[in-house]
Amino acid sequence: MSGHATTSLHHGPPGAARRIDVEPARWRDAAREALDAGLRFSGLFGIEGAGGVMAAALFGRSGEERLLVCDPGPATIVPSLLGIVPAADWDEREAHDLYGISFSGHEPLRPLVHHSDDLDSWTVEVGGEDTHQVAVGPIHAGIIEPGHFRFHVVGERILHLDLRLFYSHRGLERAAEGREPADALRHAQRACGACAVANSVAFAHAWESAGGLWPDAELARARTTLLELERLYNHLGDISAVCAGVGFAPGTAAFAALKERALRLNRSLAGHRFLFDSVAVGASRLQVDESRARRAREELRELADESARAWRELRFAGSLQERLAGVGVVSREQALRHGAVGPAARACGVARDARTLSPRLAYGDFSPARPPSPTGDVAARVDMRAVELEQTLGLLDGLLGRAIEPARCEPLDSAAHGGDVGVGRIESPRGESVCVVSAHDGRVARMHLRSASYANWPLVAQAARGELLPEFPLINKSFELCYACCDR
Amino acid sequence: MFLLLRQLQRLRRQIALPPEERRGSLALRHVDTGSCNACEHELAATAGPHYDLQRHGLNIVASPRHADVLLVTGPVTRRMAGPLRTAFDAMPEPRLVAALGDCALGCGVLGSRAELAGPLEEILPVALRIPGCPPSPQAIADALLELLALHHGWTR
Repeated sequence: MSGHATTSLHHGPPGAARRIDVEPARWRDAAREALDAGLRFSGLFGIEGAGGVMAAALFGRSGEERLLVCDPGPATIVPSLLGIVPAADWDEREAHDLYGISFSGHEPLRPLVHHSDDLDSWTVEVGGEDTHQVAVGPIHAGIIEPGHFRFHVVGERILHLDLRLFYSHRGLERAAEGREPADALRHAQRACGACAVANSVAFAHAWESAGGLWPDAELARARTTLLELERLYNHLGDISAVCAGVGFAPGTAAFAALKERALRLNRSLAGHRFLFDSVAVGASRLQVDESRARRAREELRELADESARAWRELRFAGSLQERLAGVGVVSREQALRHGAVGPAARACGVARDARTLSPRLAYGDFSPARPPSPTGDVAARVDMRAVELEQTLGLLDGLLGRAIEPARCEPLDSAAHGGDVGVGRIESPRGESVCVVSAHDGRVARMHLRSASYANWPLVAQAARGELLPEFPLINKSFELCYACCDR
Repeated sequence: MFLLLRQLQRLRRQIALPPEERRGSLALRHVDTGSCNACEHELAATAGPHYDLQRHGLNIVASPRHADVLLVTGPVTRRMAGPLRTAFDAMPEPRLVAALGDCALGCGVLGSRAELAGPLEEILPVALRIPGCPPSPQAIADALLELLALHHGWTR
């Protein structure tokens, strides 16, 4: 992105992006062509270069990454992609707020990251007899990250929900610019405590792709182990949170206790309960000797037994199950249209999982877990966690079958790598996290992180529509999205 | 359900938490001012079966109007500085502020200067410091119990 050379790499190593410069007049067509080629929209963002601000849109899948770059000219206007890619809604609003790019056809272009005192500037007008608004947050009643929700209701019935997040916006992407990769990786990592591994591996993959590096098998296994350890404690915590959402205390406590054991296991394996600083660029930070690996497997098998037993109890707890079924439904069409990712997407039958095609990791012939029934409601999203939990415990058992040795990256044939832009796609506990990195003189020129939470937040608002206000905490917890890695 | 409760009972016996020592309580209100969420996970864990701070009279309350202590996490982003002050102003006196985690303490904070209003210390008077990235649930529990002891004029 910083250089002006356009590479024409078609079949490079996964992750190296092919940059295509596009005139504003061709912007929409280029996006449509990318979709027609079977690529998925994976983010739109602003870039500040020597020649001014530019818009970039990423379309890709493992094996092909296409970065469309558009110079909007002095008027800084590009045509909106919203008609072709509804999932670009937040991205365009963010690019407007942070980079001043306007998107013609995106009307009204409401502020997203910027917080305006003018309520009408960011909420939808909802009228009719007895309609009123209920404002909640940014400080919530529990131990929750900050966000402001504005419910438009009649009585208890939610007609529409406007979200205002980005209270945790720390400007991490800007702060990472110009830094050495190791330092920039910390920015990606600290974007979110609960997705720290996923975001750092996404950054590492992006950087290594741009630089033509390939992880050796041991490094792939170390990172895969870390990613699954992260999923383990998150999924256990998510099930606990849903129980809390309906006031089912025994379930909350049982799964909170299992999560605590998973966090202690993290500490014994990687030295940190949230696995911070266990991922490095081009190298491994996780080494596990034979006996520790064996002990970890024993603990994981106990966790598997106990979580299966506890889950069975939840399945037959009528007062819990009664609250979950049919609530907060997201249809398969909605999920596809808005680019939903992760367990939330899989729960409505979209079998999308970044682990399926991840040659840089040790997933082998992975196939996504299937929900018992893809109904897209709270029940399906919770069931999805349980199914994936079992899968993760199985994966970890295999991954920790022997010691994890020191590891590193190998340079690829220099002719094969694509230049200065790399993309990392990692399945975090909440879905695909995409990191785009452009390199310049060994430093990060621009880093963009589009987390699973960023992709899924608009779906939360949609799932709340038509439901009762007291169901919202439950619906919200069934997605269990992060604010921190959305806000950055 | 009975199995679940039995499992929890067994867990409680295994953990063998030390008995509660005295009376008194502190009502805690948490405010996240832009944390990465790790501090929140650990704070929430202190209410879980392995630590169970509630049995010492340490409760997270729903409103700052009910709170004795404002537990602040995060580096204080520009957007959270206002709500933070509002929450503090809403608290009845006597009240105190605890900085939970390195970001709230202004250590090793990552981000753009323009987006951050912190450190917390320059915005509110900080009485209790709990370092760590994030502090472990045990560290949070120890610090809060010590505060409770001070507050009620007895020693542990």
